[in-house]
Amino acid sequence: MPKVTIDGRTIEVAPGTTILEAALGEGREIPHYCWHAGLSVAGNCRMCLVEVEKMPKLVIGCYTPVADGMVVHTQNDRVKRARAAIMEFFLINHPLDCPICDQAGECRLQDYAVEHGTGRSRFTEEKLLLNKAVDIGAHVMLDQERCIQCSRCIRFCDEVTRTGELGFFQRGERSQIGIYPGKRLDNAYSGNVVDLCPVGALTLKEFRFATRVWYLKNTPSICAGCARGCNVVIGVGQQQALMTTSGQQDDRIKRIVPRANDEVNGHWICDEGRLSYRRIQAAERLLATRPADWDAAIGAAAEALKAAAAKGRLAAILSPRLTCEAIHGWKRLLDALGGATVGVRRLERGENDPLLIRADKGANSKGAAWILGPAPEQAVTDGAAKGAFDALLIAGDVLDPADDPALETLRGAVKTVVYHGPFAGAAAGAASILLPGPAWGEEAGTYVSFEGRVQRLARARVPHGEARPAWRAAADLAAAAGVALPDWTSADAVLEDAAGSVRELAGLDAAAIGLLGVAGGAA
Amino acid sequence: MERILTRNVDKPDSTSLATYEAAGGYQALRKALASMTPDAVTEEVKKSGLRGRGGAGFFAGLKWSFMPKEVDPKRPHYLLMNADESEPGTFKDRLLMERDPHLVVEAAVVSAYAIRASTCYIYIRGEFVRPAQILERAVAEARARGYVGRNILGSGFDCEVHVHRGAGAYICGEETALMSSLEGNRGYPRLKPPFPAQSGVWGCPTTINNVETLCCVPFIVERGGEWFASIGPNAKNSGPKLYCLSGHVKRPGVYEAPMGLPLMELIHELGGGMLHDDRPLKAVIPGGSSVPVLRADECDVNLDFDSLAAKGTFLGSAGVMVMDSSVCMVQAMERIAHFYHHESCGQCTPCREGCGWLERILTRIEHGRGLPQDLDLLLSVSDNIMGNTICALGDAAAMPTLSFVKKFRDEFRHHIDAKRCLAGTVEPQGVR
Repeated sequence: MPKVTIDGRTIEVAPGTTILEAALGEGREIPHYCWHAGLSVAGNCRMCLVEVEKMPKLVIGCYTPVADGMVVHTQNDRVKRARAAIMEFFLINHPLDCPICDQAGECRLQDYAVEHGTGRSRFTEEKLLLNKAVDIGAHVMLDQERCIQCSRCIRFCDEVTRTGELGFFQRGERSQIGIYPGKRLDNAYSGNVVDLCPVGALTLKEFRFATRVWYLKNTPSICAGCARGCNVVIGVGQQQALMTTSGQQDDRIKRIVPRANDEVNGHWICDEGRLSYRRIQAAERLLATRPADWDAAIGAAAEALKAAAAKGRLAAILSPRLTCEAIHGWKRLLDALGGATVGVRRLERGENDPLLIRADKGANSKGAAWILGPAPEQAVTDGAAKGAFDALLIAGDVLDPADDPALETLRGAVKTVVYHGPFAGAAAGAASILLPGPAWGEEAGTYVSFEGRVQRLARARVPHGEARPAWRAAADLAAAAGVALPDWTSADAVLEDAAGSVRELAGLDAAAIGLLGVAGGAA
Repeated sequence: MERILTRNVDKPDSTSLATYEAAGGYQALRKALASMTPDAVTEEVKKSGLRGRGGAGFFAGLKWSFMPKEVDPKRPHYLLMNADESEPGTFKDRLLMERDPHLVVEAAVVSAYAIRASTCYIYIRGEFVRPAQILERAVAEARARGYVGRNILGSGFDCEVHVHRGAGAYICGEETALMSSLEGNRGYPRLKPPFPAQSGVWGCPTTINNVETLCCVPFIVERGGEWFASIGPNAKNSGPKLYCLSGHVKRPGVYEAPMGLPLMELIHELGGGMLHDDRPLKAVIPGGSSVPVLRADECDVNLDFDSLAAKGTFLGSAGVMVMDSSVCMVQAMERIAHFYHHESCGQCTPCREGCGWLERILTRIEHGRGLPQDLDLLLSVSDNIMGNTICALGDAAAMPTLSFVKKFRDEFRHHIDAKRCLAGTVEPQGVR
């Protein structure tokens, strides 16, 4: 293993490691624009120039592999001068439109200008004027003036999606990225180029001018779009809503961006997942119980569920988007009531693609299977059609809207339908007793990906109205029905309980799962 | 001196195979294929001290020796002949291609034999329409006669020669950009390593040399490396050389002379002296527009790699540009900066942004809008480009700027202070 000395610290790294990677491994950042862990090395930005003893010129850290005995300086005067020079070159033609730029606040150009720039410009010429808003795809806008030609977006489309929509056009300082004639940047992962863009050249249409990034509250979580379980960060607005008299905060989800996890999604997410929050925000929310008042609704529901269970005529349809905690809570309740026929909805759409997207849109289908065992929805619908049930519990963000009408058939077939969930859609329409629940992003919990990776969701925003988590509703129902269930006070406590009874979750708790999740099911 | 590289160029019908063969053409190819191993050819080239005529002056034999000794059938060897002659002030390869195309073809096949390549691409500058046509005709003629193609002269050696026309970008003369361009990609220089001999065009072992460099090879094969090394001042600066003489001389043109020709001899004897007798020599750019300029008092120098290096400049492509006292050095520099600004490929930051900046500053100074701090700014921007780029184009823009400003600082100063031209021929024209 080669030993390399970086700024006086000698470390041992794997052969083939570059200087930049070796430094990053030590927690030292060598500033860079074009280099990205998920893409090939381009070496064009020249920001990562460092000095290697016995080499006449500065070398780029992103491309130069460490050699045994190499002595690298990343902070000496010569390197700092070169960095300041590169920063100056970047800035001479860069527009000073930070006040209206969506990237401001999380812009590498801003960050490095402060950290490595000289603070003043010697450039007295006119800056280049180029197009400020080029519509290059369904979700992406290009500002040519802001582009620093790092080629990350081009490499992404060439190497990751292999769709090759983007390229450089023109030459020299007038060279610009653009779409090839007849093509649009409309692959299923196009939004990633916006995250990759170190500056504000590529912006997401859905996020453009929506808020300033420093008003966002960012919460690490797991995408609920499909069974892949991509790691994401949910950005929720925190700005006082302007132009309103309510004084309410604008606490909607403003964007979802990927969070790197080599075991799951690398650095990327699909556009559908990125924009999945819009479905949640567009749908009409269930805010209040029916009958009015949480306790009254719980009482009515408990009575119906208990009576049906006593006769063996209780059934439940659970969403595969429910957290493990929710599913475990419902299972404990149903078991305590005396058992029920439980079905988990299958949400299948499209096909598995080679990159991330799964046809199974049930983000926690695997977790449901671990906790409940085989639970085909067919058993419930067939039974209901035969009039086998008096009461039916429907729980969670059950269905794609298109599937909702299937529940209509259950309305007549079952005397009492109890619904716990976030939306006032058809599922709620089919129910006589309504208990509001949190939507994705509004509760902590655990998902299991199709590969069996156990990962944590966090609460990014507080649900409006009377919504309470499923495990809380289950505990309340148990209390009202007079059956024994632990009085959980947090999702973590439910997980702990589940870990005690579900073999695949044995030994897991929030700390063990951490930010990047763990492989479950090994025990 | 006996004319070697240019022995045929003045003959009537110089491009025909008959003319070439009558002058002893394709004898080197016969000799190499019949009696020499590829390594023996390389060895002769090493002995000759032949250095690259394209600009960098790298030893050709040494470069060839980096090629693998065995050919992996999955990774064939390629020879690339760099005929993208675009350096301002340079027009020697064009002469060879236009007037003696069979020398170019023979050079290609003999050199391909030495590096075990069965394909040679001649990457020719896009604007060279006529030379490309002449070359293609010569390749066809040579193929018909069995000098190109399968089983050449019954030796079992195969070599196909393709003439590939560029699309008009200076950067495609940079060897790795040339490869990218040949592959059909944007003409961007590549990061090194890997070097072409390890992984060149299509990821295969590749040797790339300038036209004039390779055209020396048939003579080395025929007459031996020692003969070649005996021409010129020493073994590291050897052989016949083509000098491109342009500017304020009576007889501009391509001149063949031994390596190490005194610059003043080129100007006054071969070139017939200064164009106007009343305008003395002011400066010479000795190796194409990218090398540092020489002031008149520095022109007592021999035109070879090491003598010019000792003067802080380069032989480069031997594009000798002569400037007399009427030349405004600010205007000359502005024109050079315009070229590099126009030709920068834009891949890496210092060159993409810096070349345009240099030109804009120079344009202001030239037109009477210079600022007192501009001269130091020019030097600083040039320094910031130098050595920090992927390829040498950045250096090519920075080096002349540094030398012009340092050596003719008073002239630049005068443009800024007096808003007039010291050379007296160009009045500031105000805002352009």
